[in-house]
Amino acid sequence: MNPAKAPRIELRGVAKTFGGGRPGEVRALGGIDLAIAPGEFVSVEGPSGCGKTTLLNLLGLIDVPTRGELTWDGRPIGNRSERERTRLRLSGVGFIFQRFYLLSTLTARENVELPMRAARVPSADRRARADALLASVGLTPRAEAYPHQLSGGEEQRVAVARALANRPGILLADEPTGELDSANTEAILDLLVRVRGETGATLLVVTHNPKVAQRADRHLQMRDGRVVADDGGR
Amino acid sequence: MRWRARAPLRHHRLQTILTVAAIATAVSLPVVLLSVGGGVFQHELAQLQNAGYEIVVSASGVHAVDQSHSLAASIDRVGSVTAASPVLSFALDAFVGPGGGAQPVLVEGVIPQAFEATEGPTERSVLPSPLPLGDPTDLVHYRGGSYRGVASWDVMVSTPFMQSSGSGTGTSLILSPDSNRSGGVAFNVTGVFGVPPTTLGPTAAYAMVVPLSDLQVLAGLGAARTSGDPPLDAADTIEVALDGAAAADPSQIDRAASEIQGLVPFYGVTSLTQEAQHLQEANSVLTGFYLALSSVALAVGLIFLALVLVRRVESERKSIGIQRAMGVPGRFIASGIVRTGLLLSGGGAVVGVGAGIILVRLLQVYGSPEVQAAANLAVFDPRTLILLGAGVVGLSSLASALASRTALRLSIPEALR
Repeated sequence: MNPAKAPRIELRGVAKTFGGGRPGEVRALGGIDLAIAPGEFVSVEGPSGCGKTTLLNLLGLIDVPTRGELTWDGRPIGNRSERERTRLRLSGVGFIFQRFYLLSTLTARENVELPMRAARVPSADRRARADALLASVGLTPRAEAYPHQLSGGEEQRVAVARALANRPGILLADEPTGELDSANTEAILDLLVRVRGETGATLLVVTHNPKVAQRADRHLQMRDGRVVADDGGR
Repeated sequence: MRWRARAPLRHHRLQTILTVAAIATAVSLPVVLLSVGGGVFQHELAQLQNAGYEIVVSASGVHAVDQSHSLAASIDRVGSVTAASPVLSFALDAFVGPGGGAQPVLVEGVIPQAFEATEGPTERSVLPSPLPLGDPTDLVHYRGGSYRGVASWDVMVSTPFMQSSGSGTGTSLILSPDSNRSGGVAFNVTGVFGVPPTTLGPTAAYAMVVPLSDLQVLAGLGAARTSGDPPLDAADTIEVALDGAAAADPSQIDRAASEIQGLVPFYGVTSLTQEAQHLQEANSVLTGFYLALSSVALAVGLIFLALVLVRRVESERKSIGIQRAMGVPGRFIASGIVRTGLLLSGGGAVVGVGAGIILVRLLQVYGSPEVQAAANLAVFDPRTLILLGAGVVGLSSLASALASRTALRLSIPEALR
């Protein structure tokens, strides 16, 4: 599988409402205008419930905006069919979650292989790439271990390897160090920065941790479903 | 690699065992019903096909076939008929030895030559040939309204009767229409016949065989109504055998039956091909009933499977959400659920077929005599068993489809929350 080219991402007036039209409707995002250049490292900060994860879900095509337009390289993609968005996610987006979310019935290697299997990568290529990715995150000896046999730091490194499996152009990380100690936090950040440097992927990290945010080139602040501060990478 | 469907089965071992057990229970019921029911049907059909005759003339209700000798002679003249044999069964009391008490026996009255010509293979194997009954012309003693000059009446006794009574060839016994020995007639035992092994029928259907007219006299069914009239000459049925070519051709059997019906318009004429057809129809109805009954069990098993699969989807919603977030296509996730469903239902079908076969074997050994007899006839038709298993596995795809739909309708953000 060839590496996906990191696209230029643009959001124009993107809003997201849950339970629309019903009492108790929640407006998670209230009209966001944002452009992210290919290869940028962007941090998103803000209090809980300000819409960070919703923004991440929209950028990762997990969810669709209620209003507004999301484009990749000028092509509207936010409202494409579920099947198309699934295909784009598989080939173009890598997710890293706070709680790692490895599949408990699969070994570390199998977890890394999973996205490649879904993308129909031949078995031998799949295994070779999984081994290479595990080696790059320093987990070759732990390839056959199940998630419950790994430490938190190791689990997150497997999750990073899995996110990189299909060579995505966009890496989206939701509190990737939220459950790690400071040593592991540094290790994971170093890994993400290295990966971004090697692949040229766009990296967007949602975090509460100022140390994580400091490593980013560009910093977004969110409040009440809006981007209230954007240093533009300066 | 563990994303084969077996991994979740191992992780939910008790659930897996219970599901397989539920489906196996649902499958074993039709296996037992269809194999035993099919076996009984085939047995009954074989009985009909090996009867030795193709057409039966009978009277409706309690009336007997009147003038059976002359009717049989008329039927004999129908083209393709090789023999017409009137048969009368009657319960009499037998007295063996001077001080012996009355023993109730079922006696069959036959015209020896005609009866031999309509014997089926089973009867032929247990009855001597020729039948050692004198009086081959049977009605020869009837003159002027009564039977006269009968010096010796012959009787054949069955092996069980011979053993229980101590009688045998060369001995004599008295047969009486009631428990009064003095109202009876002395018979010489001229032969012994074996009793064919029977299944699902009365054993030792008759204990003795005598010439038809002798039985008619004893039973009061051979007496003249008024002096000078021909005797009543009653029989229960007239069994009609056709020649080889006609016997194998249902249309010729029907044609002969129709011709015989013309001779006996007040009696029923039934061909055994019709009987077989009726049996087939009855079997179809019964099979439908078995399948309807089984489908209830199968429906319960499959609802259970659907519940287990949906429950599994619910418990794995996070895992499914992760996969979908990563871009794993819905068909990939659905195929995993379908494979799990197929493994569970396939396992259940295999275990169920095995359990059904074992259950039938147990019934053969531990059932009541009637159940044992039926179970011994069970036929395990591989085609039926394969179709049953395939049907279960096919239906399980519905349960899997329901669970897959649940999985694919999960909201990813909610599943990840």
